[in-house]
Amino acid sequence: MKVKGMLVGIVAVAMAASACGGGGGSGNKSKVFTYAITEPEHLIPGNTNDAQGLTVDSALFDTLMTLDPSGKPVMEDAASVDTTDQKVWTIKIKPGLTFHNGEPVTAQSYADAWNATANSANAWGNGYYLGSIEGYADLNPDKGKPKVDKMKGLKVVDPQTLQVTLSQPFSQFPYVLSFIGTAPMPKAAFTDLKAYEQKPIGNGPFMIDGSWEHNKQIKLKKFAGYKGTRPAKSDGVTFKEYAGRDAAYTDLRAGKVDFDNQIPAAKAPEAKRLLGDRLITVPSGTMDFLEFPLYDPAFKNPDLRKAISMAIDRQAIVNAVYNGTFKPMASLLAPIVPGYRANACGEACTYNPQQAKQLFDKAGGYKGTLHLVFSNADATYEQWMTDVANQLKQNLGITDIKFDKVQVSDYLTKLSDHKAAGPYRSNWTMDYPSPEDYLTPRCAKPTRSGYDGAACEALIMKGNAAKTPQEGQQYYQQAEDMVLKDMPITPLWNWQDQLGSSSHVGDIHADPYVYPLVHLDQVTVK
Amino acid sequence: MTEVAEATAQTGAAIEGGAASLWSDAWRDLCRRVTFWVSAVILLFMGVMAAFPSLFTGLGANDGCDVRQAKQRPASWNPFAGGDHPFGTDSHGCDYWAQVVHGTRAPIVVGFLVTAIALTLAIVLGSVSGYYGRLLDAFLSRITDIFFGLPLILGALVILTAFPSHGMMTESLVLGLLWWPTMTRLMRGQVLSVRDADYVQAARMIGASDGRIMLRHILPNAVAPVFVYAMLNVGVVIGYEATLDYLGVGLQYPTVSWGLQLSQAQEIFTDYPYLLIYPAVFLTATVLSFLLLGDAVRDALDPKLR
Amino acid sequence: MVPVLIGTTLLIYLAVFALPGDPIRVLGGDKPMSPAVYQALRHHYHLDDPLIVQYGKYLWGLVRGDFGETLNGQPVGDVLTGGWTVTVQLAVTAWVFELVVGIALGVWAGLRKGGVIDTLVLSGTTLVIAIPGFVLAYSAQLLFGLKLGWFPTAGTDDGWPYSYLLPGILLGSLSLAYIARLTRTSLVENGRSDYVRTAVAKGLSRRRVLVRHTLRNSLIPVVTYLGVDLGNLMAGAIIIEGIFNLPGIGQQIWLAIQVKDGPTVVGISTFLVLIYLLANLVVDFLYGVLDPRIRHD
Repeated sequence: MKVKGMLVGIVAVAMAASACGGGGGSGNKSKVFTYAITEPEHLIPGNTNDAQGLTVDSALFDTLMTLDPSGKPVMEDAASVDTTDQKVWTIKIKPGLTFHNGEPVTAQSYADAWNATANSANAWGNGYYLGSIEGYADLNPDKGKPKVDKMKGLKVVDPQTLQVTLSQPFSQFPYVLSFIGTAPMPKAAFTDLKAYEQKPIGNGPFMIDGSWEHNKQIKLKKFAGYKGTRPAKSDGVTFKEYAGRDAAYTDLRAGKVDFDNQIPAAKAPEAKRLLGDRLITVPSGTMDFLEFPLYDPAFKNPDLRKAISMAIDRQAIVNAVYNGTFKPMASLLAPIVPGYRANACGEACTYNPQQAKQLFDKAGGYKGTLHLVFSNADATYEQWMTDVANQLKQNLGITDIKFDKVQVSDYLTKLSDHKAAGPYRSNWTMDYPSPEDYLTPRCAKPTRSGYDGAACEALIMKGNAAKTPQEGQQYYQQAEDMVLKDMPITPLWNWQDQLGSSSHVGDIHADPYVYPLVHLDQVTVK
Repeated sequence: MTEVAEATAQTGAAIEGGAASLWSDAWRDLCRRVTFWVSAVILLFMGVMAAFPSLFTGLGANDGCDVRQAKQRPASWNPFAGGDHPFGTDSHGCDYWAQVVHGTRAPIVVGFLVTAIALTLAIVLGSVSGYYGRLLDAFLSRITDIFFGLPLILGALVILTAFPSHGMMTESLVLGLLWWPTMTRLMRGQVLSVRDADYVQAARMIGASDGRIMLRHILPNAVAPVFVYAMLNVGVVIGYEATLDYLGVGLQYPTVSWGLQLSQAQEIFTDYPYLLIYPAVFLTATVLSFLLLGDAVRDALDPKLR
Repeated sequence: MVPVLIGTTLLIYLAVFALPGDPIRVLGGDKPMSPAVYQALRHHYHLDDPLIVQYGKYLWGLVRGDFGETLNGQPVGDVLTGGWTVTVQLAVTAWVFELVVGIALGVWAGLRKGGVIDTLVLSGTTLVIAIPGFVLAYSAQLLFGLKLGWFPTAGTDDGWPYSYLLPGILLGSLSLAYIARLTRTSLVENGRSDYVRTAVAKGLSRRRVLVRHTLRNSLIPVVTYLGVDLGNLMAGAIIIEGIFNLPGIGQQIWLAIQVKDGPTVVGISTFLVLIYLLANLVVDFLYGVLDPRIRHD
């Protein structure tokens, strides 16, 4: 081959390459909108517990109940949900509802889905949500494979009636029924679950168009045969998959995607400037805490824990790291949970450097290296931990502070094995807006912090068995007060999500209780 | 082209140049180069800053930070204009000038440590492999090939992610252990090219031991290009370390480094460009100086280009 | 080639699986996981076998063309087929860019050694090498993508080449600097060699001397570099794909490393090493084409 020829070839390729720029573009008139997500881990409802997968599933599936804008469970697929003792629940399903393939939605569809979810042999992520149902333990033996494949607490009375018996009274069970992970599955799913996950058949307002295009997109179209409570107003929604939040936001700015609910807090001021009204701040149920390793003798003294809590200027950190979008907290519950009290924690969660220093000295100070523990899952953890470190240095005089940044895959194991070398970042994402959901992990044995929560757990049990929501709330609040007084954990802040939308979409009804933060069925395309 | 003139220049160089005076010739040549002086001065400045940060700022690393004072833009683009914070404050409310000064040490130390580890491995493995040849050489070359086939950034990412709370030393060790293949190949080639030279044969004939031949005769004549490569390499390592910081697997608090500053600036640099610009300028100036210095030394050592 | 492939995969395999981290826990997220579920998952991914048995099972799968299964239950082979076209398009864009522009700049500078162009090319390329790639990429994305609107800022919606131009240029810029300098140096060195002087003395036209003699020989080191560089480009894609949201294998592997999704990391790495080795084979072949001495051996 001659060099000249080679060069000519290269130039020709380069010219051809530059000549065919542009292209692509829209031009299609169908009223479909796009929503930015990252690659979901799963789509089978019983196995889906990541926010991305739940976002897609909330368009594909309907559940028995759903949450109204005030966070109360109301009927969706169910016609009625009744109980007299909070233990045996009778659920009537509306007639005439079908899956996307035409199969009717019956009590059996729910029973099948739940039995598969609870079965440890399937190893699905949402099994524990059904832990309150009688017979769950048989499907989750401590050793070996389960010997049965059905929970005895589930009884299909007739195609429209499902009777659920719980192992203990649990007044919050309707919240479980409103969780997307408890959606029904059609018979067709169980012949080949792998294929089903790539092409889920649901009962929601949208159905899959084609199949899951990994790392690219998931296309959904309107389900024409939908008879449920929330028919779609658009022709479809396409979930565009991004590698990270920055990339998604960049595309939102360029008008290439219609919705992005994960705008990084650092970009919030810029987004406000660029999007104006099209940026909505939606409160979230997610909380960040600083939890103390009570199994480490150095942190036995509650005064030391309070001193650290009071030396942290939550508002200043939220302003600097999250541009003031997150809310400083003095409660273990998120504000969107019924029963939330803004200042449940009182002065122990209020920034007061002088008093903090006094308490610190009274507790005998802190000797040696103070390790702050967090995972490498998100860059902002390191940012706010740096500020916490600087404040502890400044306000309490602890000079020797080191970070213990733990790989995300190791982090939770380390915490549950009681191996944290110091105070650590603790986080809770809401499963359902009930105080029970926030308090149980703090008190139920074995606690991550090593806190002895027997008394608090008893109060939660009383709340679970309560006849009325008001009565239940009293017990839950007593439990919260107890934890805050002992302070094995101190609240830091509550997340706020930034939902941005393009100018092509309208009827945006933001709602913190639905996964994508907006009712997808109501969205219209201009 | 002035081919005739260049040809004479080349013969002239060949006449006066001899192996013995290679280094002194090179030095004389270096003294005439502007890039050498500029880069040397910059590196000296950075070196002093890394060794004695207190000469440049009264604050210690991460000292006097107040998060309520975070992200205050510098009063003026002229850092000598005065004011409390000539470079503004960073996202933790620390004085940015002080942080940038303290950020000098870590990258430079990592740059030298990684290069030193890689250079040591390269000299030992390269000489052994080049000198003894045969099976040992085949074996070592195969190992080098295997490491060479592993993309550096991939190896570093996998290992460093598994130990997220590593310090400066661990990071240098990991990088050093991944960095040696290129230098080893270079070293081996150099040793091969002098192994059969007359003076080596002569030394062998008068009964010198292998160790003596390697240390006294081969190494001094083979090592110069490897050293030059190593010097260029320090700059490359510094840039690399910044990239790892950017990806979140590099250094961490309480260490202060330019890479970490860049990493924190990337999210907000549209609104606060100075957070990106200051450390970027310092980092680029340092890397550039190492490259230019390396270039100058290589040119000076290469009589063909003189 | 085969021993190198096995050695490198073993190295990556050990690095991924012998180091700390429990990927199964990541699957559970922040929620509790019953011991029965945990055991079932560990068994599914062979994590309860000894390391060497795990590797054996992996290699055996590889021989049958099975790259294993990601922790999301997707075949790694599918991840590769989904991502490699994107990465290859990106790498080829970068490669063509550095090849054409790099050689052109190098020749231009080399022909006028010591002139203004030469100085500009030398200092410009050194600067490109010295600025960290991610700083360059972010600045270019902001300037050319958002402020000026010349290029798409993220994603592959506009197809090849438009979506890949800016990321490709940025990915190729570092190598471009090396190629321009390499071409220049070797052109200058060859320009002084005897055979070129002979050719000039014979009275051949400058053009013919340049193309037939000087350039042809000067390109030998450049070709070597271009071959090795294809592997580098694939690895450099990790950063560029992240910044420009290109769903290629660079992005996949970065996400996989973070959650310790071993099968994905090892699978993609094996693929990268394979590409690298193939590129080197092609280089060896091109050597023969460019250098008659090797051909006649």
